[in-house]
Amino acid sequence: MGAIGFLYRKVLINRVKKALGKPVTYVYLVFIMVYCVMVPYSLKMVAEEFGGDSPQGMAALLTLLAFWLIPGNLIAYAKRRGLVYRNSDVHFLFPAPLSPKQILIYAYLRTLFVQVLLNLFAVIWGGIMFRVDIWRLALYFLFAVLIENALEAGVMLLLYGSERLQEKSRRWIVKGAYGLTGVLVCMGIYSYLQEGLSLQMAMNFLNSDMVQMVPVAGWYIAVVHLLLTGPTVVSVVGTVCYGVLFAGVLVCAWRMKCTGAFYEDAIKFAEDYEEVLNSRRQGDTQKRLGKKQKFGKAHVTWKGYGAKALFYRQLLEYKKSRYFIFDVNTLVAAIGGVGIAYLYLQGGGFSEMEPFVIPVVSAYIIFIFTAMGGKWAKELLSPYTYMIPDSPFRKLVNATAMQLVQSVVNGILITVPGAIVMGQSVWMILLDIVVYVALYANKLYALAVAEIVTGSTLGKVGKQMMQMFLQGTTIFMAVMGALAGMAFGGELLACLFMVLFLILVTLIFMLIAMFNFYKMETA
Amino acid sequence: MLEVIGLSKKYGKTLAADDVNFAVPDGKIGILLGPNGAGKSTVIKSIAGLLRYQGAIRIQGMDARSLEAKKCFAYVPELPYLYDALTVREHIEFIIRAYGACVSEDEIGELFERFELADKQDKLGNELSKGMMQKVSICCALVIKPKVILLDEPMVGLDPMAIKELKGVILDLAGQGCTVLISTHMLEMVKELWDVTFVMDKGHILGTYARESVADEDLEALFFSVTGQAKPSDQDGR
Repeated sequence: MGAIGFLYRKVLINRVKKALGKPVTYVYLVFIMVYCVMVPYSLKMVAEEFGGDSPQGMAALLTLLAFWLIPGNLIAYAKRRGLVYRNSDVHFLFPAPLSPKQILIYAYLRTLFVQVLLNLFAVIWGGIMFRVDIWRLALYFLFAVLIENALEAGVMLLLYGSERLQEKSRRWIVKGAYGLTGVLVCMGIYSYLQEGLSLQMAMNFLNSDMVQMVPVAGWYIAVVHLLLTGPTVVSVVGTVCYGVLFAGVLVCAWRMKCTGAFYEDAIKFAEDYEEVLNSRRQGDTQKRLGKKQKFGKAHVTWKGYGAKALFYRQLLEYKKSRYFIFDVNTLVAAIGGVGIAYLYLQGGGFSEMEPFVIPVVSAYIIFIFTAMGGKWAKELLSPYTYMIPDSPFRKLVNATAMQLVQSVVNGILITVPGAIVMGQSVWMILLDIVVYVALYANKLYALAVAEIVTGSTLGKVGKQMMQMFLQGTTIFMAVMGALAGMAFGGELLACLFMVLFLILVTLIFMLIAMFNFYKMETA
Repeated sequence: MLEVIGLSKKYGKTLAADDVNFAVPDGKIGILLGPNGAGKSTVIKSIAGLLRYQGAIRIQGMDARSLEAKKCFAYVPELPYLYDALTVREHIEFIIRAYGACVSEDEIGELFERFELADKQDKLGNELSKGMMQKVSICCALVIKPKVILLDEPMVGLDPMAIKELKGVILDLAGQGCTVLISTHMLEMVKELWDVTFVMDKGHILGTYARESVADEDLEALFFSVTGQAKPSDQDGR
């Protein structure tokens, strides 16, 4: 694999070199290392509590992953998705005199490095968390990295690269993969009906013989059980079936004719992928891979001049989009609101923390879930925003007004269900909604502040981390305000102080954002 | 020699190319002309092996999809997309390996000098301007010493010096017996280059014109007369 090996090696080495030259990489590494230690430790405690700290526990966890990954991969390959080619591959690789099969394997191998790391992680924590013998873990590692990858590559070649499979056959394979999932789910329901819902039931089901008897996915699960928990008749038979499947797939993949007919679909996917990637970078969460965003017909009555045009343009865009101003954040807010109400009713109250539950959940959701900047981030990238002859203040207000309207809707959704079941006063409900809106506005304007602080020195990730740091600081100050309010006069004053602190910091951020706007405009 | 025989391509129900036939002989420069949406890109992408199609495409008499045909065929797409993590030099090294080309250090150095890339060899793909990317893309196509080369809007983004250099390179290639096919809207840029022109519209080749048979006729006038579009200056009454 001369040329492809060269490309793979050089891209990997240059990426690592470039990453090591950026300070933000080390911050990321620290985060990842902390996560790699903290998460398994907390899971270890859970596993111990529920008696899952055994090789059977690891086998059950890998079985659960197989339920999700194997049918998912089959569907992706049958639909000629799941392999990511970039535009540079279309430019240089596809027209080159390289075997199309090699080009398929190249795309597949791009995930190999991460896969090896994940398997290494699984093996290390398999020893610590699940107390699996080292020799078994070593065998599992070799199986996962060499055998399972070779089989998956073979399946990928057969499904993605095949030029004999017609569209109809591909649809049948997709249906088959869904059927496979359906069989596994039905087995789970059967176990639930037999034993009732408990963690032990789930463990028994995932380690059961019947799961290992399901064709394809079950045979992989049988090998995992044979390696981690020792032989049983079913796991040995399943492993033999896996071996036959392995040999059959590799022979067929080797002999299959492939002249590159898949390039057309791969190019389409590459274009979609780049488009979605660019949209996500700008905070647009509405674009979906493989699905063209549909816009309806809409009309707005344009009023006013200057920066008002920004507001009406955004309004027109929202009216044309399928779900108007409602997006994934609306859904998350609604689920959050219903969740708070449900937990309150289930647990019979939240004790002395009750008044702060909604603001805390709001802060968490905004901090973690909402996109970096949405339309506002897009406006900051557009030169037209700066060229509009109007004051920076009016531009700022008009460019963010629709997103603030969105946040009011989301704030109502997250607040009202919980507040009603808790019997909160109208004032408290209003304050909770204001907290949500202020937090959201804070995140919007913190983006512009982060731009000023980081400039172009720390890149996009650095900017995002700075935005998170600024917001974290704001939340901390709001908590301090709440504590002061609580000390002076109770719940209502605590919420009022919290809101005042939030609004104050947000106004400061807004002023800085405005200054930034002015600076860019006149630079 | 490049031969396109009965090429048809459908996108869903839309027929983008309908029984397209043309050939560019060895050592000749062909120009593919047509308004937006004429089907030029479909023909070009089909020749480059990027699309499924009906019909046949032959490069030096070989099926264009065969690895042997690809070895002597170079393609410069309209928009250059370089690998972010490869340097200019590594792009060339990759292409040499992929095509199994026999190229000396001196030849690579000469190519870099010609396109003013000598001092940018260690720059990564994402550190270059659009024009520089286009130059790298052209160098990658030239380094394999192709027998057939396909250039899609090759002058876009290039500075005047690079355009002049590219024109020289194209004439040199044709002089060495290489088949050249250029798709472009910039008629001015190719007026001194072409040997044969194919005018395309709505998925069909409307006309094929050899330079010797149209004598002094201007390429622009030819294009507008064949496509039935009025020349902007005629519309203005000037």
